[in-house]
Amino acid sequence: MAAKILYRILLFAALVQTWSCTSLNITNYYRKHQSTLDSIEVVYKQAYAKKPFSIEFTDRPFSRLSLELITDTLTYIYEYTIGEPRLQDTLLRYGYDTASINNIIGNMRSMECTWVDNLDYYTEEQKHSLIYISLWPRGFNSPFVNKKYYILTYFQTRQYYDTEGRLLVGRRLRRIRKINADVFRRINDRMAYTISDRFR
Amino acid sequence: MAKRLLPVIIWLSFYYTPFPSLAGSTREQALEYLNSAKIPDTSIFWPNVKRHLFIANLKANIDSPLSLYQGSNTNFCGYAAMSYLPLQDDPLTYTRFLIALYIDGTASWGNIRFKPTTDVQKAAGTLHFKGILDIRHADQMWFLSLADHFRGYLNFFWPNFHPGSEDTFWAAVNYAKFNRMIRQVAGYHTDATGSDIFRPHFKDLYAYLTNCLKTGTTYLYVNNTYLHKKNHAKERFRNSFPTHYIVLTDIRKISNDPNDDTVDIIYWDYGGRTLRQVSLRFLGKILFGVTHCTPPQPPVSN
Repeated sequence: MAAKILYRILLFAALVQTWSCTSLNITNYYRKHQSTLDSIEVVYKQAYAKKPFSIEFTDRPFSRLSLELITDTLTYIYEYTIGEPRLQDTLLRYGYDTASINNIIGNMRSMECTWVDNLDYYTEEQKHSLIYISLWPRGFNSPFVNKKYYILTYFQTRQYYDTEGRLLVGRRLRRIRKINADVFRRINDRMAYTISDRFR
Repeated sequence: MAKRLLPVIIWLSFYYTPFPSLAGSTREQALEYLNSAKIPDTSIFWPNVKRHLFIANLKANIDSPLSLYQGSNTNFCGYAAMSYLPLQDDPLTYTRFLIALYIDGTASWGNIRFKPTTDVQKAAGTLHFKGILDIRHADQMWFLSLADHFRGYLNFFWPNFHPGSEDTFWAAVNYAKFNRMIRQVAGYHTDATGSDIFRPHFKDLYAYLTNCLKTGTTYLYVNNTYLHKKNHAKERFRNSFPTHYIVLTDIRKISNDPNDDTVDIIYWDYGGRTLRQVSLRFLGKILFGVTHCTPPQPPVSN
């Protein structure tokens, strides 16, 4: 009897371990949802160029969001519940394009995207920027390990990768580039991904 | 009578002027010094520091001291926060110090002699993937030299610099070390409440912070896993310790309702000022230390 119980516990533990190791094929995931994910990037890039901001979803049901409104002198961080009129009032008050931001919020919820931001990075003393999109962890997560976020980066120009598909600093500088201390891998010439325990 | 009162009036006007004008120097003096300094094209002590980036960085820090950026994923936040005071109040001493450090490899700040190790000297100018810190070579020199000179118990097992140490406990800043740096580098008097492990208790946190802001510069020692969230994990261990220093510049209640404890706080970190709405309960939960800094007293003339 005891052996039977032990056997069942071990079988359960093995299944949990198997599920926790299951990872999403992010390239396939991106291809499947390309139009929505690309739309987040395009609309965000255009809206950011007018007035900088970033959006974070702070909870699993995607009902609370944190908005960072970036001005020359101050960054304002406010939290809202989806559908709260205060959100629209704030956007209007600070002169943001409400239609674009509402569109991004809707697409972020449908894709379970937890964070979208514009990051600056430097290559040979030149400033560049990329759009950074974090997706909420997919599949089963073991309770004993940190959640892993799927991070997509949209670069403005073509990037260079090594034979293993790891993002490099540049065509001449063959060092592996890290963004937020993570190594990124190729999705296409202008896009890379990583799996990280931090969404930003 | 008027003649007798004149020195008293002059003394009082100096004494009661808000502390920024008690500054040891002005931005203009610092810029003038920088423009007239003979800075060699290369420094044998800092082989990877590029002269043009070094000078551009010093200019940027003098012109807009709030843009000082610690770099992403480094443990330089304590050094960046501490630098807020000398950059605001004494940019000339800061500029002189860094130029001397660049030229001679060692330099003195008041009574403190900085002699960065060879490993640190080689590392400055090579830090990459840290955002704008990549091209801020003077900041790299400054942060690395501070981390190399000021040591605390958190650095005990990381005594020497190795590539990548800027992200490790080699560069960590415990609370006592932070307060010591402020006293020794900025020359300010510090009144610190808090510790690295236990949260301090304030009977009225809002009143305490408001009072601190009226009379000096206020630093908060906080747990950044809540303030600047990077994941949604509920890790009790990591969330139980302070990890970040911010400069509090304003706090105000948003409602007169005594049951509503929401406040707007304005603070400086990561190269910019942020306004954020938080509850006092939340603030108390993430707060491990408050350092109230007051400028050195002006000499009393007889």
